[in-house]
Amino acid sequence: MTTTLDSSPLSVVEALRGDRSKRPLIDIASAGGLRSLLEDGIFEIIGAQRLATPLVVRTSSLHQRLATIDLAMSTPGRIRGVLIGQLLRLLSVGMSIDHAFDDAVATWRAEVGANELIQQLDALDDDDRARLATDVAAHCVTLTRALGEIPARWMPRSAVRATQRLAGGNVVLRDVVDLMIGASTSDVASIALFDVTTSPLGEGAERSMRFHALMHTLRTSVMPLRTCTFSSATGEMWIRDVDYELLARSVQDVLNSVRDQWSAK
Amino acid sequence: MHRRLTRSDLNELVSAAPAAPVQLLDAHRASLTTRFRAVSVPGHRRLDAWSVERAGRSSNVFRWSPATARRVLGNASLRRLATQPASVRDAVRDELGDQMLRAASGYSRSGSLSHWLASAPHPVIGLVTAEAVNWATQLQEIAEWLDATWEVPTSDAYYDVASARTTLRARRDLVVRTSESRTIVRVRSGSPGKSAGPGLRADLTIEALADHDGVAPVRYIGLWPEAGVCLSVDGTMSDLRSGARDLVRTAVAQRRRGTLLAA
Repeated sequence: MTTTLDSSPLSVVEALRGDRSKRPLIDIASAGGLRSLLEDGIFEIIGAQRLATPLVVRTSSLHQRLATIDLAMSTPGRIRGVLIGQLLRLLSVGMSIDHAFDDAVATWRAEVGANELIQQLDALDDDDRARLATDVAAHCVTLTRALGEIPARWMPRSAVRATQRLAGGNVVLRDVVDLMIGASTSDVASIALFDVTTSPLGEGAERSMRFHALMHTLRTSVMPLRTCTFSSATGEMWIRDVDYELLARSVQDVLNSVRDQWSAK
Repeated sequence: MHRRLTRSDLNELVSAAPAAPVQLLDAHRASLTTRFRAVSVPGHRRLDAWSVERAGRSSNVFRWSPATARRVLGNASLRRLATQPASVRDAVRDELGDQMLRAASGYSRSGSLSHWLASAPHPVIGLVTAEAVNWATQLQEIAEWLDATWEVPTSDAYYDVASARTTLRARRDLVVRTSESRTIVRVRSGSPGKSAGPGLRADLTIEALADHDGVAPVRYIGLWPEAGVCLSVDGTMSDLRSGARDLVRTAVAQRRRGTLLAA
């Protein structure tokens, strides 16, 4: 049974923005060091050879190290995750959502056209489809209540992509941050990264939070202010201020993933 | 030149561009026309940096989608913001409103963005808004990084090669002007491939051809914000020639492919 609270105890966006007067100055010095740590670590694992196909690290690669069975990676779990991601995109621009499931499916189709996961959605029988629709509606209610209204002046951007090639293209890091708020032109750290998951939060979610922060730092050469993950299953939210230690831990997560993929080759 | 996409690196690329621009003459245009006319095609052909980067391989048939609409709407919104300060989201909404009004008042043709938007369902409009907000916010941040004065051009650069049924198009997102020269900034999704340089040179050449006096930009800067890198080519005669050669080669490759398919 899914129960929802009448009002959210906390606005996600408010929590992410925090007290502006306490924000640190932007850190533009750490990105180079982190990149070197990654390059050196990858060289120790792979050496100088050139790979025909690169090793790809995503947030899902970091999860797999931890769990052998992850319900979120089942087909309905993946579809649900994608649909909640689409609804977050609509919420980020202040769109009203009338029918969570139908709206999410319509935006998903418009975005990707046809793919394997959409075919699997189309192949669901009526019962499974109705179950999924109810599930998505419940997750949407939890997300909407927690998120509140996102002011336009906080410059929300959704589904922000990042790609980094390392070790001459032997390793490619790929990431998509569900929601990013704050300006990168400020003198103080302002960027907050928000990730939504339809699973309960676990260690994998923490790795994802760190990975998002690392990828943002590598991409823009500026450290973000905070990284956060929200579970639309439980309404739970974890927020971490980004510092060098957090990013260095993410470098280790990435190197562990590269090591696992390399030894499995 | 290959750099990380940071505020200081971008400003350095703009400020350290060559001072004097190169000019294409009528003889250059005539020479290019002769070469394109030698590579005749039954219909009309359109070439751009993307076709050069793909060596003339045809892409999928164009269709409007939130991803293809974002740049048009995002750039128009940023242009709007330059004259009417508002939030990016409001500027995008106003731009969407204008587009739909155009369709409702019968000023849009079938297949246009206005026409597509007018028939798109409500949630898809939401996704289009989200994509355009992403694009406009990203471009606004890049523009605000620039120390020099910038403007969002009203359109891409187009050049019709006379009597060769060929249209060339160069993408441009920001123009930085001084009294004597201009630098162009172009933003792309994804990360640059091995052929990103030739693509930039093709844009440089088309931009120079599209200029009434044939004046080339002093530098063409390509930004890939998703990868956090930028590349640039200088507007030298050698780069312009190289860009023109790549465009003609692309036309040849396209025709060869067309002939093979027909056979």
